[in-house]
Amino acid sequence: MRIVKIRTRVNGKDIQSEVEPRELLVHFLRENLGLTGVHIGCDTSNCGACTVLVDGKAVKSCTMLAVQVDGREVTTIEGISKNDELHPLQKAFLEKHGLQCGYCTSGMILTSYWLLKNNKNPTEEEIRKNLSGNLCRCTGYQSIIESVKYGAQLMMKEKEKEEQQIEVR
Amino acid sequence: MPTINWNDRELEYDSSRFVKGTGHFVDDIKIQGMLFMTVLRSPYARARIISLKGGISSKDLGAKIASVGEGASEGEASSVEPIFASGFVNYVGQPVAAVFAEDRYKSEDLLDSVEVDYEPLKPVVTIDEALSSPPIHKGMKSNILSEAVKGQDFSDPSSPIVLEDTLENNRISTNPIEPRGLVASFEGGVLNVWASTQAVHSVKNGLAETLGLSKDKVRVMQADTGGAFGSKGGIYPEYAIASFASMKYGKPVKWIETRREHLTSTNPGRGVRGKMKIFSEKNGKITGMKGEIMVDAGAYGSGSGGFSVPFIESMMTGAYAIEKAFVTGKALLTNKVPQGPYRGAGRPEASFFIERMLDLLADEMKMDPADVRLLNMSDKPFNSPLGMKIDAARPFFETAVRELEYRREAKLAKGVGLSFFVLVPGTYTGESARMIVKDGKIGVWLGGNSHGQGHETFIRKLINEELDVSKELVTVYRGDTSVTKDGEGAWGSRSAILIGAAIVAICKKLRTEVEKEFGSYSSESLLSRDHDEYVFDEKPFSLTSFGANLATVEIGRFGNVRVKKCNAYYDVGRALNREMVLGQIHGGMAQGIGQTLHEGLFYSEDGQLITSSISDAGVPLAEDLPNFGVKIAENRSSLPHGAKGLGEAPTIGVPTALIRAVEKASGKRLRKTPVMPEDLIE
Amino acid sequence: MHPSSFEYFAPTKMKEALELLSKYGEEAKIMAGGQSLIPLLKLRIAAYSYIIDISRVEGLNKIRETGDFLEIGALTTVNELEENELVKEKYRILHEAAVQIADPLVRNRGTVGGNISHGDPSNDLPAVAIATKAKLEIVGKKGKRLVDADSFITDSFTTSLEEGEILGKILLPIPKVSSGGCYIKQKKSAGDFSVAAVAVNLVLAEDETIKSAGIGLTSVAPKPTRANKAERYIEGKKIYDSVAREAARIIVSEAEPSTDFYGSADYKRKVLGRIAEEAINLAFERGLVR
Repeated sequence: MRIVKIRTRVNGKDIQSEVEPRELLVHFLRENLGLTGVHIGCDTSNCGACTVLVDGKAVKSCTMLAVQVDGREVTTIEGISKNDELHPLQKAFLEKHGLQCGYCTSGMILTSYWLLKNNKNPTEEEIRKNLSGNLCRCTGYQSIIESVKYGAQLMMKEKEKEEQQIEVR
Repeated sequence: MPTINWNDRELEYDSSRFVKGTGHFVDDIKIQGMLFMTVLRSPYARARIISLKGGISSKDLGAKIASVGEGASEGEASSVEPIFASGFVNYVGQPVAAVFAEDRYKSEDLLDSVEVDYEPLKPVVTIDEALSSPPIHKGMKSNILSEAVKGQDFSDPSSPIVLEDTLENNRISTNPIEPRGLVASFEGGVLNVWASTQAVHSVKNGLAETLGLSKDKVRVMQADTGGAFGSKGGIYPEYAIASFASMKYGKPVKWIETRREHLTSTNPGRGVRGKMKIFSEKNGKITGMKGEIMVDAGAYGSGSGGFSVPFIESMMTGAYAIEKAFVTGKALLTNKVPQGPYRGAGRPEASFFIERMLDLLADEMKMDPADVRLLNMSDKPFNSPLGMKIDAARPFFETAVRELEYRREAKLAKGVGLSFFVLVPGTYTGESARMIVKDGKIGVWLGGNSHGQGHETFIRKLINEELDVSKELVTVYRGDTSVTKDGEGAWGSRSAILIGAAIVAICKKLRTEVEKEFGSYSSESLLSRDHDEYVFDEKPFSLTSFGANLATVEIGRFGNVRVKKCNAYYDVGRALNREMVLGQIHGGMAQGIGQTLHEGLFYSEDGQLITSSISDAGVPLAEDLPNFGVKIAENRSSLPHGAKGLGEAPTIGVPTALIRAVEKASGKRLRKTPVMPEDLIE
Repeated sequence: MHPSSFEYFAPTKMKEALELLSKYGEEAKIMAGGQSLIPLLKLRIAAYSYIIDISRVEGLNKIRETGDFLEIGALTTVNELEENELVKEKYRILHEAAVQIADPLVRNRGTVGGNISHGDPSNDLPAVAIATKAKLEIVGKKGKRLVDADSFITDSFTTSLEEGEILGKILLPIPKVSSGGCYIKQKKSAGDFSVAAVAVNLVLAEDETIKSAGIGLTSVAPKPTRANKAERYIEGKKIYDSVAREAARIIVSEAEPSTDFYGSADYKRKVLGRIAEEAINLAFERGLVR
């Protein structure tokens, strides 16, 4: 069994590591890097509890090998808040009760993070469709959808504020 | 205690961690030297084990499972589940052997080192096969695990209307997004276990009894628990195996279930058939009901198969004042994974049987289903002949019909369904709580452990109300059997009622203590001294509540059902936190829709599980579901804090309303969940 | 649920990939997006000594029109396909199929080439390739060869790729002015594989009769299937309700669905008949719009 060296950037940090080729990305993140916010909920690429961003796109880290992120950038739930300030989506999920048991939450937030990058103000239907690779068993999704909508509003407000600040300068 | 990667502060339950990804789920635990366990499982529904070499197996651990979960039953000795299959395997997924290695990959590699020869036998897969086949276990006379009767038998009256039907709820996997798992570590003569669980004491008692340890030598601690829905109440073979192995190898052992294992080997719910007969006057007034139920208990009595028979029977008159009722029932052994509780745990089945009959009666009488229902209710409290005590039903349901705007909806569209139900929470035997006041702060530990229901929110609220202590000073910890002496668990719609009552009881005690010492009560006085109080609050009385659901649907040309409205009107007693109440109801409604339209475990003729992914098992996606409409009535209960049971309400009320809506929209009598698209088109 | 051990290669040149493939033969497996392969490895339904990850091979992720064809590199992700403006505008049959594949996260990794060469009878793109009469460019040590989409998948999870060969590009004929296509897919629940799906691509003559018809079927036979007889039946005809209905009847007769828990074979035939009729009408309507 050959060990492979990889270089990757995870949550803004450069990482060099040695992995077995068969090691799944989710296990690399959890076991090697201690990023336990990414979860495992199924073995058939259905549930999305393992969602992370690879080069900005939401993917299922249980259906990727760690060696495949060599030279790529990975963002996990631990990497979307700035310093100790929660990301607007994280705030929205807390405020709108977009979670119960908390197991699907990081996947829900990261998939929505990716959606909101491409679509600033999605409709309810667009949010539901975009979450079709993420399962929640507790909430019936209603509060998750409200959280995503509210998160989108918060992000737009933040953007406006930033733009105003730039104008003032 | 072995050193794990969580410090003491991290034992508190804090749901705000989940948005940051800093929760503490059982698979997040790391301990130096820990082994990872993989279980070799039976590929056959029924077979004789000719030879077995490798791993640890029944020759190393010959014990049987001591059942102590919700609704545990003591079956005949030969139907008690062995921890490892011994001599025979009796369901696909049954543990046969276990292997251990320093990581999960190597551990799975080791499965190849175990050699098993089987002689496949013809399995008993369905309820009908169980009735007609020789017993699956040697030493038993038949495949009947248990039998129970409720009510007094009566001879069929010569009623003008007699209706009969056979109704069924297929098996469903509980499918929390986090599968089962635990870490066991035997150190200094104490077995320390961290588990994903809704009931630390059930796991402790089960392990102590199964492994022959004294209860004070087993400590079970709850990790953050990623959903449970009934399936993480008691112990399972894997828990005993991992604990045994940690003792044998002198190392911590971790076992994390995979989804495929969850689908084959975690106790699923439902799987119940009811043969119903009702007798009615010409005006639609039901005078008598007879029922016969069959529970598919699976291969052993380790689940809730046996217990569920009398429980279902007791609720089979629903919210109606039916004077005569008689129900017989059997739990039957089949070569499938043992059945267990799934959110509702018998309540949805009982309600399904009676509500489907009320709709049939409405159709027979050409009456509105709401009118038939109201006609059969009492204005006064009613003690059913099956042993259920309910409050005056009619006033509540008359209001429900208005609140749900049922009559308007029924005029607007064809596909409309209405359901009424009684929720019987699992109050037996009460619940424990411990409160420690130290350094000006309050810590709370519970016998029944939160996995997202919002215990911490309502506990802070109640303490604030009772003791005037600000919410920030209160910390709620995850379950730990070393802190609470005893406890039951978070299941059966009981937490807000029983934990609430226990917390209020402790608060009253503390108040009295402070008054005694300081002459009058103030929170400053309370927090200025250390206190340590524990109660096990027993609530043997009945605390039923009512609920009603409305569903409207459209059926697509291929029989796919689009749920347009899924609304509820529930009496939740005093809502301790409105958002949490709504969250519980929404989630339960999704599961109710799932049961009715999407979910099921299906087995082939030879007992193989066909639905072997979480998607095939039908857990609904956001796209499958509507926006829910929920109204709550807050009729305070007799408890000091006024709460009533809630969690299971939607899983009882939604399937019955929804299947009626689909029945009306399709024009086809529907008898079974899940409803398949092809049942609905020509 | 953890793959067994393998050695891993991630060549950046096709030549290297082919060399590795010929060196390790049957013990090696090509991986593109891995969205079908990795679950199989995890469940240990499949095990290989060597995994050749071609996702870094250069030049195989472009979508462009060249000559008579829309050329899609096999490593184009389904997400890139669905976001592509040219595809959105001009290749609706392809776009409609792409947006219905699995879920958005899987589409971010899953590739066009993988969707086709996995040989899964419930994968969507093979039927589109069949309906549009696409050619597949197969690369081997001896060079390139073109095969018809029809003859590529030979059975359930089996293709006509020979030892040492890799699917390189998919070549979709650029639609004629008067042509229309669509993809209609029916599922039990949102997260399921399809009960049945139909791809129809019609080229119209001046007089609005069908000059050429392409009909591909998903999930209703052991492999993606061309509805030959139905194609011949509608060619030369104008599409009226009665023609579409008869064509749909013929399509159903050409399918061999099997019973599973998504539905019985009979139900699948019913669904197929109805979506086939609808797809023929829709493709024709789209062809009429100039």
